[in-house]
Amino acid sequence: MADAALRGHADRQGFGEWLLDKLVSGRGIWPAVPAIVVLMVVAVIPFAILLSLGFSDIVVSRGAIVSQTFSLDHLTNALSDSLYWTTFYRSMTLALSTMALCLLFGYPAAYLFLIGSPWVRRLILILVIAPLLTSGIVRTYAWLVILGGRGVVNSALIDIGLIERPLRIVNTHWAVLIGMVQIHLPVMILPLIAVMSRHDRRLDEASANLGASRLYTLRKVILPLSAPGIGTGCALVFTLSYTTFVVPQLLGGGNYLNAATMIYEQVIFSLDWSKGSVSSLILMVTCLIVLVAIALITNLFTRWTKGREA
Amino acid sequence: MQAAVGSPADAPTAPVLSIGAVIKRFGPLTVLDHCSLDVAESEIVTLLGPSGCGKTTLLRCVAGFWKPDGGEILIDGADMVRAPVNRRPVGVVFQSYALFPHLTVAQNVGYGLKVRGMRRAETARRVDAALQTVSLTGFEDRYPAQLSGGQQQRVAIARVLVLEPRVLLLDEPFNALDAKLRGNMQVELRQLIKRLGMTAIFVTHDQEEALTMSDRIAVMRDGRIEQVAPAEDVFDRPASAYVADFIGSSNFLETYAEGGRAALPDGQSVPTELSGPVRVMARPHNLQLTPGEGGPWRGTIVFHRAVGALTEYHVKAADGVTVRAVAMRQGETRTIAEGTPVSLAILEPAHCAVYEA
Repeated sequence: MADAALRGHADRQGFGEWLLDKLVSGRGIWPAVPAIVVLMVVAVIPFAILLSLGFSDIVVSRGAIVSQTFSLDHLTNALSDSLYWTTFYRSMTLALSTMALCLLFGYPAAYLFLIGSPWVRRLILILVIAPLLTSGIVRTYAWLVILGGRGVVNSALIDIGLIERPLRIVNTHWAVLIGMVQIHLPVMILPLIAVMSRHDRRLDEASANLGASRLYTLRKVILPLSAPGIGTGCALVFTLSYTTFVVPQLLGGGNYLNAATMIYEQVIFSLDWSKGSVSSLILMVTCLIVLVAIALITNLFTRWTKGREA
Repeated sequence: MQAAVGSPADAPTAPVLSIGAVIKRFGPLTVLDHCSLDVAESEIVTLLGPSGCGKTTLLRCVAGFWKPDGGEILIDGADMVRAPVNRRPVGVVFQSYALFPHLTVAQNVGYGLKVRGMRRAETARRVDAALQTVSLTGFEDRYPAQLSGGQQQRVAIARVLVLEPRVLLLDEPFNALDAKLRGNMQVELRQLIKRLGMTAIFVTHDQEEALTMSDRIAVMRDGRIEQVAPAEDVFDRPASAYVADFIGSSNFLETYAEGGRAALPDGQSVPTELSGPVRVMARPHNLQLTPGEGGPWRGTIVFHRAVGALTEYHVKAADGVTVRAVAMRQGETRTIAEGTPVSLAILEPAHCAVYEA
């Protein structure tokens, strides 16, 4: 009896040591095991439960689910509802235009980082990171003040004499777009800067020596070599702005419906968890499709990295 | 060596590249201090010096990557200082080659032609020819990462050759290669540049590389050019003690000069314009060792080692100075053992150089 207890103790200790050893120095998937466990508990399992709600008819009684039967009704209803199509279309165009504008405004900043002196580089880095230190909600409220009827923008335009009465910017598509671009710009610039700081400037010198202008070098050398950063930045900005909730909710004034605000209304106001679940699924799948497309396009421009081992 | 030109004044035609009193400062540091150098048609001139002497800076000023703070740079008489980088008729082969990693070999070589808007068929024809020149036919579709160091270097050379620049600038192009390959590539590259009749400036800190590659060597020191002369002259008649010390190994003998001659420790003398205390430089191969104590200049062998077909001796002379001598090991000549007393003599006093002490 004592022997068995002792042996059990030894086995347990053996297992603990074995596990610790595997986690610290194991090969392959082992070091990622803790992260996988946490993800399973906080993300995969809740999401599976949510999905199960979307694919079943449920009967709720006194706040608890009393019966659950498999059904595709919620999905077919959603796909045949034009509200879903227009909402997701709106989300998609908003996210894609945010992504495009972030790239348009972010790339010059990254280029300036590349060609700038160490002080310019430091300044750009500070300017990019500083906004991340404040919350997105605060920054969004700031835009309400700036873009409002008596805000800085309207006052300035009236003072110049371009307009007589304040423009209605807040609560429009444009306010949402402006807010989205500003909030997500750092997320685009940071991966671009990461690529630029690894860029070999002797390639630019070689290009100039071979007769290329600065613009030609930018187009034919710097731009293609920064493709991985562009891909990462676009993927991040797209994901964040496609699924964003705060900016459309605040700057859209409650009447701007995108995917996230729709799900919020379905779950919080309509208390229809099945609808919310199906909407989430559509959101996730469409997001993944675009991410895969971005990855494929990026791969197309970074084929040269594949031959490294050959 | 026919292309070697003693001094620019002797050159039958105007120099292709003329560098006049170029100054370059980085903050309080003067990196180039009135550097002047003329390079004649089809001549290879090496900028030789230790790291930090300004040789790469001078090259980068000629290429246009850096703007000099003073002086002039002319190519075929045209001012280059104000010419933009991409409008200069110079081709640079970088130390790291700086090949475009995202372009194939053919695209790398064709880059400059494409910039100039050349038609595709013509570009392809010239790229083929350039790759054939550097023996890289068949590698057109490889990416630089798939090539060896030597092959990458040849792509870098083909990339500038295809544009037929007036002046070729090579910045330590052999640094990234291993020793054995380096030797072969040096000879190959010199022959290639000579065959194409190109004018080139070559930067290195390796004296052997300089002796292999160049018609003339410009020895640099602290931002100044100390001596410009054909390779043999720099070795045989170094203009200063610094040059003598930097190129080849040398013995410096402290002695005294008067009446137009400097005394040598073995009783001979060399003609000189200096008087008073002087330093006489004698190359190790100019010293003869004889076992025994027959001569006036005596010493003891303290160390010897075989260097290829030669034996190098370190001899501690009676006055306490250690000198180096080399002798061929051939026939009946035996290596003299350590500790043996020897007498030293200068073989050719005329080959000694005399400098101020």
